[in-house]
Amino acid sequence: MIDVVLGIETSCDETSAAVLVRDGPRPELASLVILSQDIHTVFGGVVPELASRAHLTAIGPVVDQALKQAGIPLDAVDAIAVTAGPGLVGSLLVGVCYAKALAAAGDKALIGVHHLEAHIFAPTIEHPDLEPPFVALIVSGGHTLLLDVPQWGRYRVLGETRDDAAGEAFDKVASMLELGYPGGPPIEHLATQGSDRFDLPRPMLGQGFDFSFSGLKTAVLHTVRGGVDLDADKADIAASFQAAVFDVLTGKTRAAVEQTGYGTVVLGGGVACSRALAMHMARHLTGLARVTVAQPRLNADNAAMIARAGWFHLDQGERSDLYLEADARMPWPGLERQPRLSSSRPRS
Amino acid sequence: MSLYLAIETATGVGSVAVGEPGAAASEIVFGDRRHAAALLPAIGETLRLAAMDYTDLAGIVVADGPGSFTGLRIGFATAKGILRCHDTLVLRTAPSLLAAAWSTRAFVRGPVAALYDALRGEVFAAVYDVVGDSVRTLVEPLCCSVSELIRRCSTPPAIAVGDGALASAEEVQRWTGRPPIGPPAGAPRASALIELLAVGNGTQPIEDPERFEPVYGRPAAAQARWEQEHGRALPHSGSGRR
Repeated sequence: MIDVVLGIETSCDETSAAVLVRDGPRPELASLVILSQDIHTVFGGVVPELASRAHLTAIGPVVDQALKQAGIPLDAVDAIAVTAGPGLVGSLLVGVCYAKALAAAGDKALIGVHHLEAHIFAPTIEHPDLEPPFVALIVSGGHTLLLDVPQWGRYRVLGETRDDAAGEAFDKVASMLELGYPGGPPIEHLATQGSDRFDLPRPMLGQGFDFSFSGLKTAVLHTVRGGVDLDADKADIAASFQAAVFDVLTGKTRAAVEQTGYGTVVLGGGVACSRALAMHMARHLTGLARVTVAQPRLNADNAAMIARAGWFHLDQGERSDLYLEADARMPWPGLERQPRLSSSRPRS
Repeated sequence: MSLYLAIETATGVGSVAVGEPGAAASEIVFGDRRHAAALLPAIGETLRLAAMDYTDLAGIVVADGPGSFTGLRIGFATAKGILRCHDTLVLRTAPSLLAAAWSTRAFVRGPVAALYDALRGEVFAAVYDVVGDSVRTLVEPLCCSVSELIRRCSTPPAIAVGDGALASAEEVQRWTGRPPIGPPAGAPRASALIELLAVGNGTQPIEDPERFEPVYGRPAAAQARWEQEHGRALPHSGSGRR
């Protein structure tokens, strides 16, 4: 029986550790520590080598802090859940090697976790009653993925981005508007002061479930270079860009709900930290589906979601061995790209 | 007994060994840059071959850089995890270049230069001499061209080892008078780290293993560009060890 899981996440530029403990049949979050690397703001994006170096010096103190906050000694931990991919391979390696050493030298179970699957589990930490079937939308700096989740451990791809991820588009547009990195929070803040008055495209809206944000990003670039007064118009450009992204994300999610007949939508990933997106989604799905989204620190890259996804797989009897490797392009266990759903599925 | 686990992952050929200072009881070597997958299983097997387990250890000695950035992190992240589980263990380090130079001690007398290919026309290099029971560092580990290394070393070493020496074989042979020795014979080994534990100045203790950062030998490329453009050190760039 697994009663205590230590989660470790180092897939990008956050070093994170968390402890989950058994509370009856379900896990409960005992602690979560996230150390964000601020050095990358200087470069306007994550520098992989610097991220890897920072993880190596941070991982020990971060794990210590998580155990201390949970009031649980390492000896009491039954299993280690660690992000094995996808992500920056140098960053992943630090977490995977540290986790494997804890498992081997501490005689603990080990489970490698797929980072994107963990994003889907994140809301269950606060909403333990959340159960499939549901539609999941994962939006982050590296991914935009619309999924049919008929049950835990099974995921069917409905649509994904053909070029830039939504979060990547936010970062690039923020750079055009001289708002710094990462781009999501400053654009969301600025958008509250502006209006959606620039006529930006809603790429691929109404054309299946795939996404494309590259053209939208280029449209913003043409707008910025097209003679606008950037100081005066910046807030309106931010509001227009954000509205265009949200319309696309929401429109396709709504179409997925209509096709699957599911009554629940799960929003995950760093872009889902945006309250504006959650509100926009909820408003447009009123009467059709309930939108479930975790609090921001559980939606950003964090070890609590890794521990929670690991808990699920450990409960299924799965274990990783000490040959576990970090995999920048890790295949997602349980992910199906075909067949597509039929539209005759009954509502849950 | 004071048994040590030794980890060497700074180059393309990795190895682990277990033994008392001066004498390895078992060693496993693994290649093909499969360090991340192979290291923990190799440690387990090395301990098993020596009829020991983690609780028998007094400490861990890990090869420090300069060397492969990723290899160094694999070695130290693994060591840190083991140390976290067994907090009475001590951590010691020795430059991987010294472990490579140590490989010639049986057949060469005099100073030994160790050179790793650092790409971009440079090598990570150092020059050592073992006198009696102690190591003397004649040229501290540095990153430079082979020509610059030769300029810095007033007396030619007796021999040069490592893939960096092999990559510039003609220039190195003119310098030392002998053909260089590349991997596998001229590669660092974990068993050398075990032997260096018994040699004066062979290894150094690490006071704060959790926050320890290896000597990388050069900054990240983006950091170097930024510092060149701005004429100052990158803010928040860690401990400054390179």
